[in-house]
Amino acid sequence: MIRPIKKIMVYIDGSEQSITAAQYAIVLAKTLGADLYALYVVDTRALAELVKYRIFLDTEQEEYRRDLEGDAQRYLNHVRELARKKGIPIITEKAMGAVHSEIKNKVKEFSIDLLIIGELSHIRSRRDELYNEAERAMRSVSCPVLIAKGEEKIWDLYESAE
Amino acid sequence: MALIDLIEEAVIKAPMAATTKEEAVRELVETLFAAGKIVDKNTAINAILDREAKGSTGLEDGIAVPHGKTLAARELTVAIGISPKGIEFGSMDGKPTRLFFLLLAPPDVTGPHIAALADIARLSRSKALCSALMECRSPGEVLKLLKDD
Repeated sequence: MIRPIKKIMVYIDGSEQSITAAQYAIVLAKTLGADLYALYVVDTRALAELVKYRIFLDTEQEEYRRDLEGDAQRYLNHVRELARKKGIPIITEKAMGAVHSEIKNKVKEFSIDLLIIGELSHIRSRRDELYNEAERAMRSVSCPVLIAKGEEKIWDLYESAE
Repeated sequence: MALIDLIEEAVIKAPMAATTKEEAVRELVETLFAAGKIVDKNTAINAILDREAKGSTGLEDGIAVPHGKTLAARELTVAIGISPKGIEFGSMDGKPTRLFFLLLAPPDVTGPHIAALADIARLSRSKALCSALMECRSPGEVLKLLKDD
């Protein structure tokens, strides 16, 4: 039988939910013998929009871009360490641009079979404007998407993974 | 953490009592302090006012988005304020500001910080929503506009 999931990608955005998603991705990759990728997108489109709408100054855009790049490295290093502890090799990838577009592009580029994202908001909004980038990506990627819910259970699964 | 997750009654001030820019910042920061979202009011106020000194975050059509990075914030947090009469905030079009989104974040959550500001930027483009928010006179009315029960 053909293995349906050979490549897993987890999207990391610096939130606790995305780290939980990474733990679940590590457990799944170990169980399934799948290759594991972690992606962080430096949201340069949002930075440009914030300047366009005068919420950010030009200097602020540059400062926050540097901060985002630093965060990208820090969080990807953290996920690499989480994977290393469980003996799982991981390919980390930093992209720049619009988050949902970059996720879609990387899924295609690496022929990802399963995208894992962190838990979405429990709260339903009346506003379309408040659908976040992970939700947009979920709608647009070409592969199956798994939402990692249940922080405590996932933590236990990660901790017990041999 | 989505913007909608940050919005609760305790972080909404409607109506605001402030009549000046500094009072408005102080009132919203005090709202966050009372809600347990920040640990040091003065540090937070200074972070916002230092940023405002470089250029006002007063946009057009009565909206302002004062923001800052500070260790005084326990986590990414937002306050929403409605000023029925409007407050002179140095806005782009010279109109008084009636709707405030004040955002504070610790320095190590830049990704969620940018995402929340981008959400606010998108919300601020909806004139119908912003007009409706400006007419709210209680936190409950604001929540009703933004969240689905």
